[in-house]
Formats: sequence, structure tokens, C-alpha cells
Amino acid sequence: MQTWDMDLPELQEPETQTGEKLKSELLTVNMGPQHPATHGVLRVEIKTDSEIVAKAIPHIGYLHRCMEKHCEAIDYRGVIPFVDRLDYLAAMSQELTYSMAVEKMLGTEVPRRAVVIRTIVSELQRIASHLMAFGTYALDLGAFSPFLYAFDEREKILRLFEELSGARLLYNYFWIGGVWNDITDTQIDFVENFLDGFEKELVKYDKLVSQNRIFQERTMHVGTLSLEDAHSFGATGPVLRGSGQAWDLRKVNPYLCYDELDFEVPVGEGQRGSTVGDCYNRYYVRMLEMVESVKLVRQSIKLLEPGPIIGKVSKVIKLPKGEIYMRTECPRGELGVHLVSTGEKTPYRVKIKSPCFTHTSILPHIAPGQMIADFVASIGSIDIVLGEVDR
Amino acid sequence: MNEERLTFFGYFRNIYTAVKSSAIGMWITFRYVWGKKPVTIEYPEVREVLPENTRSRLYNDVLNCISCNMCAISCPVDCIYISSVPRPKDLDIPKCDDGTPKRQVLTQYVIDTALCCYCGLCTTVCPTECLTHTEDYEFSQYEVEDMKYDYLTDDLIAWRDRLVKA
Repeated sequence: MQTWDMDLPELQEPETQTGEKLKSELLTVNMGPQHPATHGVLRVEIKTDSEIVAKAIPHIGYLHRCMEKHCEAIDYRGVIPFVDRLDYLAAMSQELTYSMAVEKMLGTEVPRRAVVIRTIVSELQRIASHLMAFGTYALDLGAFSPFLYAFDEREKILRLFEELSGARLLYNYFWIGGVWNDITDTQIDFVENFLDGFEKELVKYDKLVSQNRIFQERTMHVGTLSLEDAHSFGATGPVLRGSGQAWDLRKVNPYLCYDELDFEVPVGEGQRGSTVGDCYNRYYVRMLEMVESVKLVRQSIKLLEPGPIIGKVSKVIKLPKGEIYMRTECPRGELGVHLVSTGEKTPYRVKIKSPCFTHTSILPHIAPGQMIADFVASIGSIDIVLGEVDR
Repeated sequence: MNEERLTFFGYFRNIYTAVKSSAIGMWITFRYVWGKKPVTIEYPEVREVLPENTRSRLYNDVLNCISCNMCAISCPVDCIYISSVPRPKDLDIPKCDDGTPKRQVLTQYVIDTALCCYCGLCTTVCPTECLTHTEDYEFSQYEVEDMKYDYLTDDLIAWRDRLVKA
């Protein structure tokens, strides 16, 4: 047996760790940029106290493509494919805002048929965009099948857009002065058939997701944004309406032919026992908006009358000196285009006010005190698209 | 928050509503077993029929091109490289299929397909409609350089019979 000759150091008893001496600090967790729950390439730096978020800082810029600077180098028609790439889930709405800004500055009169086609198409785009928001939101909260059902319906709209414009996602369909291709009678029949089927689908979504107790528990009283805060953050669209204010540019400041159409502005009123301004209200406003969009498309199909689809625009577009700010109600909120012209062939400046950028700034406000899983629900309920945040 | 205090009966009522609403959802999902056709397309065997005006790979029919430069001017990403020289005066001026005289000799017509954004602006300004979007969507390459199509080569002119509708 081996023995130790040398002097052993005196052993000390370890310090007993009491609660007062324990060090505690916040843990930093990076959520993203490749996290599926962040809807794109958003990185959120979260300081967590165990499971509870103490602070959340969104880091943006991973999808920055110098959009606005690019627009200064190309002619007015060439900008339209670029603005498509802002909010790639609702490209038609972006084209609409930009082309309306240029038309107003040029003084071009858009033919009646083109205006009605624009209304139909942008409302269908709103449905497609909200379906995506609905599907991915359910996916974030752990339900997979609503995502598939939503995509099944969205596919039909995309197929119609493909027949109209030739592309599935980045359409370049709204031109300055009108639209590219005319809508045929078979396509209108297709739209009507789609709407009939879609109303039944909406009832199904309501039973499957909105009335589901587990879904309600996950979203109700979570991420509450009061109306006062919504105003101070400059929130628009479903986020503002979810907080309880009926503000919709289609009603307040009508463009296209919305003033002739009969529709309501859905508002979050704390439906089914939720708090006004929570995730459930923001989600539910979107579901109600889809119902309104179905009504709008039905009414505007009746307004269709034969005629030209593109107004008189010169081959080389030169805007007069000046500037303009045009805003429309996009599926995600209020999109603004500030166009400055010095009388050249190219715009001097195209500034885009994006709703998603504004809504990203809400995240640090509603995050503290939430569980991490609830924070995922909060991100999903504001429904941001990073292409529009970074531009 | 402003949630009510959980009572004894509330506890069981919550369980009941959760089970009931989940069962409704399960039933909706279960009904997809019957009467729903699968929407997935088995891609390499079955191909989707694309609409007529699908915007996919560009093809320029150089025999009908009058070298007017309109496509290169309208391109927002500058992916069309076109150059031409004036035709010598002592030669006959050939004509396109639609009768437009070709006053220029096309010396280069290259499209960088990797740079193209498929917006369709170049095809709408083409006066002889020789530049068109085809319905080809399978053209991946190993090298980026291979995506540059020189439409003056014989290989690509031979596509004319396949792609251009008579």
C-alpha cells in the first residue's frame, strides 16, 4: 500500500453557499436571426431572468438591400419591381402606393376599370397576407394544421395572380397609369368560386383556432398594448385597431373606389373575454378583416365595366418639380411613400415609411415581464415582415 | 393581471372547455381523411401547367432583333448587354418577320440570367416582340458564369424552333 510522505496541505471545508452570497445575473439569449419564430431575419437580444424576459432589444438590418438608394438611379417604371421586394407577402399593396404617388404627381387619370381591378386585387392580396399571418401565428403557438389549410387557400389566390401578372410573388402588375393585364370573365368566375369556398373556410378557422381554449390561453392577456401606447408608438393597421381604435385609411381617407363600397372597420373590443390590445385582439382583428375583404371583393366585382385598363402616360416619365406623400392601408398597416422629384427622369428621393418598422419598436415595450414563449406569441401577433423593416 | 381567481368549479370547467374545443379541432382535421384530394404535385414526374404569360427564362430571337436598345434601357438591374454596328450602306437591308428593317448589325446580345429579376419590363418595350419570357424554369448551373446566355451562338439560336410559336 502506498503511503504519502510529503506534507499534505491543510484541507479546508468548502464555503457553504447561502442564498445571500449566491451571485445572480441576467442571461443574454440571442433569438434569431435564423429563428423560425421571428418571421425572417430579425435578431432579438433577450436578457432573461430564468424564463422571464427582463429586456428585449431587436437588432435589424440583416435584410438591408439599399432599396431607397437604388431607386434614385432608375427610372420611375423601374422602381416598381423594387418596391415589390419591400413586403414580399403583400407586393400588390406596395406597388399600389408607389404608383398612386407617381400618378398623382403626373396628374394621370386612371381608367375606371383599372381602378376596380386594383381594388379587387389589393383586397385579395390582403386576404393572402392575412392568411399567411394566421397560418404562421398558429405555427408559432404549436398548431401545424391551420398553417396547411391557410396555404391551401393562399395558393388559389397566388394562382390567380400568376395568371394575371405572370409571377407568383413579385408581380409588377400595377403600372403607372393602370394595370398590366386585363382580368377575364373566367378569372372573375374563379374569384367568385374561391370566395364562396373561402367563407366556409373562415368558419372552420374560427372553430379550429379562434375558439380553441389552448390557443386562447396562449394569447389572451398577453402582450397588452394600451391605446395610449399604440398612439405614442405610431402604430397603425391591425395593431392599432386591436388596441381599440377604428382607424382605417380606406374609411378615413378613401382612395381607389372604397368610398362607394360598404364595409365595416373591425376593432378589438375584448372579444371572448380578452383584454383590449392583447395578442388575441390583434389576431382576431385580422380574421374579421378577411370577412370584410370578402365583402369588398364581392361588391367591387359588380362595379366592373368594360373599358381601357391603362391611362395615357408618355414613354419617358418625367415628374414635375416637387414632392408628394402618399399613404395607403396595407395589410400590415399604413404604408407611406415620400417622393421628391427635381424634374429628372429618375426620382431624387424615395422615402418609404413602413408600418413593420414602427411595429418592431413596440417589442421592447411589451416584452418585459413576459415568459419567452409569450414573447414569441407577441412577435407573431404584430406580424412583421423583415423585407419592409430593413428596406 | 386581471384574470379571475380560479374556483373549484372553474378548474373543471376549464378542463371541459379545453377538451371540447380540442375535440372540435381534431374532428375538423380528421375529416380531411375523406373527400380531400391531395394538393401536392409529385414534381419530377408530374409538372404543373404554367399560365401562358408566366415570366420565366428570357429568350431573344436574334434573327428578329433590330438592336434598338430599348430592353437594355428599361432594365432596372442592367443585366442586358447589347452592342451593334451600323450596317454598311452598300448592302441590302434585311427585314424582320413583321417587316421592320434591320438597320443595325447585332454584334453582342448577352443576358446575365443570374442578375435578371424577371420583372418583365424589357419584354413589354420590345417593338418587334423578339424578346420574350419563356415557360422554362429549370436552368440551374454549377457556375455563375454559365448563367450568362449569349443569344448569338448557334446553340441558342436553335432554341428558336422549340420556343417561338409559329
